Amino acid sequence: MPELPLWLVWVIKAAVIYGALLSVAGLMSLAERKVSAWMQYRIGPNRVGPFGLLQPLADGVKFMFKEELVPAGANPFLFRIAPALAALPAMLAVAVIPFAGEIELFGQRTTLSVTDLPISSLYVLAVGGLGIYGIILGGWSSNSKYSLLGSLRASAQMVSYELSLILSILAVVALSGSLDLRVIADAQQADAALWNIARAPLAFLLFVVCMFAETNRHPFDFAESEPELVGGFHTEYSAMRFALFFLGEYCAMTVMSCLATVLFLAGGAIPFWPDAPWWAELASFLVKMSAFLFLYLWVRWTLPRFRFDQLMRLGWKVLLPLALFNLFATAALMAAGVL
Amino acid sequence: MAETLFYALALAAVGFAVGVISARSPMLSVLSLLGAFVCLALVYLLAGFQFLAGAQVLVYAGAIMVLFLFVVMLLNLADLSKVAEHPTRVLGVHRVALAGGSAALLGVLALLASRRIPDTAADTAMLARGFDELEPIAVALFSRYLLPFEAASLLLLATMVAVLVLAKRARAPQGPREQAQAVDAHGDARGDASDAARELEGAGLR
Amino acid sequence: MVIVKRRELTLAERLYLPEIGRALALSLRAMFRKRVTRQYPEEPLPTNEVTRGQPRLVVKDDGNIACVSCGMCEVACPAYAITIDGGETDRAIEREPKRFDIDMLRCILCGFCEEACPKDAIYMSDELELADFSRQALVYDIEKLKRPRSALQKRIDYVNKLNDRWRKPSSTR
Ligand code: SF4
Ligand code: SF4
Repeated sequence: MPELPLWLVWVIKAAVIYGALLSVAGLMSLAERKVSAWMQYRIGPNRVGPFGLLQPLADGVKFMFKEELVPAGANPFLFRIAPALAALPAMLAVAVIPFAGEIELFGQRTTLSVTDLPISSLYVLAVGGLGIYGIILGGWSSNSKYSLLGSLRASAQMVSYELSLILSILAVVALSGSLDLRVIADAQQADAALWNIARAPLAFLLFVVCMFAETNRHPFDFAESEPELVGGFHTEYSAMRFALFFLGEYCAMTVMSCLATVLFLAGGAIPFWPDAPWWAELASFLVKMSAFLFLYLWVRWTLPRFRFDQLMRLGWKVLLPLALFNLFATAALMAAGVL
Repeated sequence: MAETLFYALALAAVGFAVGVISARSPMLSVLSLLGAFVCLALVYLLAGFQFLAGAQVLVYAGAIMVLFLFVVMLLNLADLSKVAEHPTRVLGVHRVALAGGSAALLGVLALLASRRIPDTAADTAMLARGFDELEPIAVALFSRYLLPFEAASLLLLATMVAVLVLAKRARAPQGPREQAQAVDAHGDARGDASDAARELEGAGLR
Repeated sequence: MVIVKRRELTLAERLYLPEIGRALALSLRAMFRKRVTRQYPEEPLPTNEVTRGQPRLVVKDDGNIACVSCGMCEVACPAYAITIDGGETDRAIEREPKRFDIDMLRCILCGFCEEACPKDAIYMSDELELADFSRQALVYDIEKLKRPRSALQKRIDYVNKLNDRWRKPSSTR
């Protein structure tokens, strides 16, 4: 294989990872409809391509050719950039996800992630958290009461659940003593009993619950809340900008699933196969990630939406104390030498 | 290169800061503040403080500004003009003075506390290792800067309590069920509510 | 007055999580149940003589339509879907429509025309599909409405059977 300069390898890596992210997001839009169909004794889209696999493509083409509307009285600038603001952060956040360990690529040793940061878990949270601005601004600038209510709810929900999310991650960070996702993943490598899901089950539970709230998914999708708010924050959007919101949502779901995989399921580690080659690790990573993605869909088509006050009560009176307790307990157990 | 970037970012930060106070719509003002925070984070990043940059974005841009936006969206802008005309009357002079005074006191305390401990070799070592590792940051925060740190959090807590007191309005019981409950609890619900209202009026809140 | 006593929730139910697990198990099982979807154009809906599809004109065995352009159906039609221009013919019945249009976009498939017709000339077929590129193409003329009697026979028999209910046993037809 010819030896390529490092920057070119890096570009190839980034292109592959982003291409994969976008394809996963596209496939998720299909999977969402397929899974919902299966759970309701239906078949789901199956006309475009085998098993409807090309449906996302057809949707994309459709969205491109739809007419773009900007409602009267909307703030045109914010209205136009909001979808991009919603989609961009999730895509940025995926840059530090360690999909697999070191690999040999075109004669260069490199890691299978766009980049590695010593504070990557913080980075994912910080950048991923910015996605909410797209939702808030999109709803606010639409000049529609439904959109405004949607984004109001989104912001309140975001503030309430990000706390618990961060606290649950902090417990994991404390366990592995690093903010670096790669180090966190490697620390769990040795055997399945060291996986954080076993060592910090409560943190895992909290993370999963907050993960749904962070990405505005059922049963916490108050920003959309179709029966009450028509379409929530994206009521007034059409065409590709509408699709961008969904792209952002699916990307955010993918990033959250990756994060859960790294934090609690040891990334690409395979039990009883400590020195697995990188492709096996990548495959196992993808399997674990897909499991979380499926969980998203599974929950969405099973549970009813909460009421908004229930959401707030759950966030502040149940999850936050639990997360604090969990952090404290983890620290205490670590100090006592149990963990 | 780094220098040019720094000046560009600094300039942008100042520009955004001006935008915060000059923007007509509160929404734009909040967004400018957000821009300023992001610029600051980038400056931190430029200086090599990744953790600080991350924390800045996470806490300020990710959480606090979202809250600001929330409040701005909730605001009835008609009420704002009242605050603009007579800011002190609406908030109550003595309360503002009290809050400002305690903030200043806490600040002075914090300053004094951080002054007392001299620089140690550990600090220089920490600087040499950089701020990217968590441990030195944690050690510094919980030893040398413990008092300022706690004072700052106390200040925030005090602010929060103060805001709660200011924001909490006595609400007349609504609906027959609540009224009945209120009567059960206090004997005479309406008396209580109007008492509270009178008190608020005295404080210049209504 | 009925006093409904709410059942006290058990601890497991109040904890919420076990119930979520139960719900998830339920929907997971649902994923593998038999599908009820009908792949429509390939698997059309079953039809029978009770199906009230689009109205069609009966063509008698001699090749002429049974309609005598009496206009009863035109009057009965609640949707004003039928337009008839009467004309003369040399045959024994003397009259037949020169023009008999049903605007299928107006027709609501109510079957009143079928009921109104004194000559058993118009019947509801089991044809349900209706799609074209222009409105004009969906105004069906005689040629499009003609169906041989055999194609409608089942419906004719069914309607006769229904109508028997209203005939006095003594009276014969
Ligand atoms: S079925 Fe009803 S609506 Fe249609 S043509 Fe006959 S009478 Fe008119
Ligand atoms: S009622 Fe029967 S005979 Fe009379 S015009 Fe209509 S189809 Fe022809």
